[in-house]
Amino acid sequence: MATVSLESFREDVVRLRTEAVSALDSATDETLLERARVDFAGARSGRLKAIQKLLGGLDASDRPEAGRLFNEVKGAITAALDAAQGRLAGATAEAAAIDVTLPGEPFRLGHVHPITQTIRRVQEIMARLGFESVDGPEVEDQWHNFEALAIGAEHPARDPLDNFYLAVAKGADPLLLRSQTSTVQIRVMERRTPPLRIVSLGRVYRPDTADATHYPMFHQVEGLLVEPGATMADLKGVLRFLASSFLGGDVHVRFRPSFFPFTEPSVEFDMEWGGRWVEMGGAGMVDPAGLAAVGYDPADVTGVAFGLGVERIAARRYGVADIRDFYRNDVRFLEQF
Amino acid sequence: MIISTTWLAEYVRWDAPVDELVRRLLMSGLNHEATWQVGADTAIDIEVTSNRPDCLGHVGVAREVAVLFDRPLHIPAPRLVEAAVPASAAIAVEIVDPDVCPHYTARVIRGVRVGPSPAWLADRLRTIGIEPVNNVVDVTNYVMMECGQPLHAFDLAKLRGRRIVVRRACDGETFRAINHKEYSLTAGMAVIADAEGPVALAGVMGGAESEIATDTVDVLLESAQFAPLVVRAAARGLVLMSASSYRFERGPDPAAVEWASRRAAALIQELAGGEVLAGVVEAGTLAGGRATIDLRAARVEEVLGVPVSAGRQAEILTGLGFVKEAACSERCRWQAPSWRRDVTREIDLVEEIARIEGYDKVPEDRPIHAKPVEQSAREKTIRVAGEVLVAAGLCEAMTRSVVSEAFEATASPWTALPPRRVSPALVRGADRLRRTLLPSLLEACGHNRAVGAPHGDLFEVARAYLDRGGNAAGDSPLEEPLLVSLVTGGAYARAKGLAEGVIRRLGGVVVFRRGALDLFTPGRAAEIVLERAGEAPERVGVVGEVSDEVLARFGLEGPVSAAELRLDLLEISGSQPRKLVPPSEFPAVQRDLNLVVDQGMAWAELERAIRQAPGAARMLESLDLEQVWEDAERLGAGKKSLVVALRFRSQTGTISSDESKRLIDAIVASCGQACGAVLRG
Repeated sequence: MATVSLESFREDVVRLRTEAVSALDSATDETLLERARVDFAGARSGRLKAIQKLLGGLDASDRPEAGRLFNEVKGAITAALDAAQGRLAGATAEAAAIDVTLPGEPFRLGHVHPITQTIRRVQEIMARLGFESVDGPEVEDQWHNFEALAIGAEHPARDPLDNFYLAVAKGADPLLLRSQTSTVQIRVMERRTPPLRIVSLGRVYRPDTADATHYPMFHQVEGLLVEPGATMADLKGVLRFLASSFLGGDVHVRFRPSFFPFTEPSVEFDMEWGGRWVEMGGAGMVDPAGLAAVGYDPADVTGVAFGLGVERIAARRYGVADIRDFYRNDVRFLEQF
Repeated sequence: MIISTTWLAEYVRWDAPVDELVRRLLMSGLNHEATWQVGADTAIDIEVTSNRPDCLGHVGVAREVAVLFDRPLHIPAPRLVEAAVPASAAIAVEIVDPDVCPHYTARVIRGVRVGPSPAWLADRLRTIGIEPVNNVVDVTNYVMMECGQPLHAFDLAKLRGRRIVVRRACDGETFRAINHKEYSLTAGMAVIADAEGPVALAGVMGGAESEIATDTVDVLLESAQFAPLVVRAAARGLVLMSASSYRFERGPDPAAVEWASRRAAALIQELAGGEVLAGVVEAGTLAGGRATIDLRAARVEEVLGVPVSAGRQAEILTGLGFVKEAACSERCRWQAPSWRRDVTREIDLVEEIARIEGYDKVPEDRPIHAKPVEQSAREKTIRVAGEVLVAAGLCEAMTRSVVSEAFEATASPWTALPPRRVSPALVRGADRLRRTLLPSLLEACGHNRAVGAPHGDLFEVARAYLDRGGNAAGDSPLEEPLLVSLVTGGAYARAKGLAEGVIRRLGGVVVFRRGALDLFTPGRAAEIVLERAGEAPERVGVVGEVSDEVLARFGLEGPVSAAELRLDLLEISGSQPRKLVPPSEFPAVQRDLNLVVDQGMAWAELERAIRQAPGAARMLESLDLEQVWEDAERLGAGKKSLVVALRFRSQTGTISSDESKRLIDAIVASCGQACGAVLRG
C-alpha cells in the first residue's frame, strides 16, 4: 500500500531543488555555505537524505519515475554545491591575491672586475690546449727582465726612463718592476724541462703618461709552448684557437713581421674582429739564444710564444673608451660586468 | 719614417697602386701609419722597428720594394770632381774619446753659393715634412733621408783653429744649438769641438755659431759614426730629439759614412757650386764587420712549418743584399750586407726568408693535440676568495701597486720596514711600493661615496711588496705576499663575517685576538691567527673598524670596517677534494641557554667552554650567539647575559630527553667552571 503519492513526491523534490539551489547560490561565505550544505546534502539528516527515504513509500510502479526525479534533483544540488564552493574559493584567492608586479626582495651580488674576467676567459681557453697558468714576482732582477730575454745592457728598453727601477743600496744589483710577464716564463723554464705549455699573467709596469689608451700599470697574458718540432704553424693554430674561442665563430689570424728581442722570427698578430683586422699582440718563435739561456738545447726543442695586453682587448670587448676607467673602481662601472 | 713615393720611384718601379705597395710593406715588416697627398706627391708614413735602421732611408725601403715586387734596384753612384788640394790642408780632425765616436770623416767644399734649393729637392723634403733651409743644409737632410746616414755641414770659417776635436763633453759645459737654445752638457754626452769649444752636440744637433748661413763660403761636411748610447743619453738628457739622433741611436750602416759623404759633396757641388777638396780627413776606422752565416735549407721549414725551396731562399737573400759565399744543396754560407747588422745567425736568415715569402703562407689549421692541465693551488685560492666576496655583494676593484707617501704613512700589517721606492713615479707623487692594499681600497670607497655610487663595498686581490731586510730567502728579490683586502660599510662584525667566510671556505681554522693598526679605531680591531696542527700559530690577517680620522681623510662616513688577509698563507692545500660527511638521518634537539657572566668575559672563552664540554664534540651540531644584554638591576652590576642557541644531533640515533639533559648539564657545568657562568632562569 502506497503511503506517498508520486505527485506529492514530485512536489517535494521540486521544492527541495528550488530551495537548495537558491540557498547554495546565495551563500556569501564559507559558514553560510556549510550550513546550506548540511541542511540539504548532509549525509545523516540532510533534506535530500530525508526525501530519499520517502522512495520506499511509493508504489512499486511509481518508483522508477520517482528514482529518476530524485537522481535529477540530487545531481542539480551537487552541481550547485560545487559551483558555490568554487565561487567562494575564487573569492578567497582574490582576497589573498597580490600585485605580482611589485619588486622582488632585493639582494646584492658583487661583480668580478672586467680585467679579471678577461684574463680568466683567456686562461680557460688556453687550459683546453693544456697551457698551465703560472705566476711569478713583480719586482724583478735584470737577468729575468732583460738579459735572459736577450735585451742586452745597451738596449734602449733598459733605459732608466723607460722602467720603474727600485732604489737600491750602492753596489747592489738593480731591481725593477717587471715590464713584461716573460720574466715568469724564464723562471719556469729555469726550473722545468720541456715539453712545456704555460701562460703567465699579471701586472706589468711601463712608464707612460696615463691617457685613454695608456696606463703605466697594465696586465699581460703571455703564452709559451716548448716542444720538439714546434713551428710557426703551431703558433698560428694556437692563436686561431684562442681567437675563435674568445670572439666566437671561425676567426682568422694574420701575422705581420715585427721585432721583439725574445723571439725570432717575431710577428705581430691580428685577429679579424668586427669585420676588420685588429692588432692583438706580439708573438714568434722563442729565440734559440733564449732557449739556450735557460739550459734547453735549441737542437732538441723549439718554442713558440705570444703575448697580449689585457686592457686593450677588454676595452674593445666591453666598449670601454678610456682604459683609466678600469682603475677608477666606480661601482657604477664595475656593476655592469 | 715618411716616404715620398716620387722619391722612392727613383730607385725602384713597383707597378702597383699605392695601396698595394703599402699592403706589401705592411705584410713584410714595415707597418703602415698613414698615407696622404702633398701636391703631386704621395707621402707614406711607415713604422720602422728598432732593428731596421736600414729602412730609415729611401734606399733601404726601395730595396724591400724591389725584393717584394721582384724589380731591379737602382742606387745612384755619386760622381765627384775633386780639386788637387787635399782636404787635410783645410782642417785637422782628432778623436779624443774613441768610445763615443769610432769613425769620423770631414770633407771640405770651398766657394759655395748658398741659396734656395731647386724645386725637385725642396718638394721632396716638404713631402716628408722637412722644411727646406738652403741648398747646403737641404742636401745634408736629403742624403740622410736617402741612405739613413746623418750628416752635418759646418761653416768652415767659423771653426776656430781649423780643428775638429771629438770628445766627451765636460760637466757644465754649455752649448748653443741651431735651434738657438742654450744647453748645459754632462760628461755622458759627446761634442764636436773646434780649437776653443763645442760646435755641435755629436750625433744630435749642430751649433748656432757654425751653422750654414747665406754668407757661408766654405763648408765642412761631417759624416761619422757615433755610439748609440751616447747619442741617446744626450738626446734624452736634453730632451732634444732629432732625425739624426733617432738614426744614430739605432746604428746606421757603417759603410754609408763614405757613400753619404761623397753623395752629399757631389750634390752640393751640383746645386751650390764650389770645389771639393781631395779626399776626406779621417779619424778612427770604419767599425762593424760583416757576419758570415750558415743556413741549412731544411731549417726554414722546421721553423715555419711550411716549405720554401732552396732556390727561392737564395733569391730572397740575394735580393736583400746577402752574398752567397759557399754553397751546397743542404747548407749555404751567406755574408750579411753592412746595413743589416741585425742579421747574425741562421734564425735571422730564416726570418728574412719568412717575412718576404709571407706569413700568410703559414697554415692556420695545424691541429694542436690536447694535454691535461691542473689548476694551481694559488689559482684556486684566488677564485674561491673572490667567489665568497662577490656572493656577499662586494665588487672587485683594481688599484695601483705603487702609491703615494700619504698612503704608505700608515702602518703595514706585514712589516715594520719602510716601503721600497721606485723611479720614476707611477703617477704623480706615487713612488712607493705598497705594503698593504687597505689605503687604496679606502680611497676607492671614498671615490664611490663622492660620486654617489650605490655603494662602495670593494675587495681586491693583489700583492704587497715587502723588503726582506737582508734575508735573501725565496726566489724573488722582495717578498710579495698575495693579499685579499676588503672594505665595507658596517661595523666590525661585518668585515669580520666576510673575513671568516673567506677563511672558512679556504678550510682555515683561525682565532681572533685583540690587535691594533693605525687605520683602525683603538680597541675595535683584531689580528687573525691561523692555527694548524703541528705548526706554530701564524698571523694571517687583520680586521677592524676604520677610525674616524682615517674615514675623514678618505671622505667616508662610518661605520666602515675593513680586513686584509694573507692568501698565500691561507692557500688551499693539495689537490685532495673534500670528503663527504653524510647528513644525519635523525632529528635535532634545539635548546637555548641564558648564561650570565662577567662583563669582561670574551665570547671566545665561553664558546670554547661549550665546545669542550663532555659529549659536545660529538653531539653539538651548531652553536649560535642569539643575544647579548646587560641590565644592572636584573643581572647585577658588571654582569652580562648571553643567550646561546644550541642544536644537538647524533649520527647514530635519536637523542633522548635524558641524553639532551645530560649534555646541557655538562655544558652549563663546563661554562661555570671555565667562565664562572651561571644559568639564568
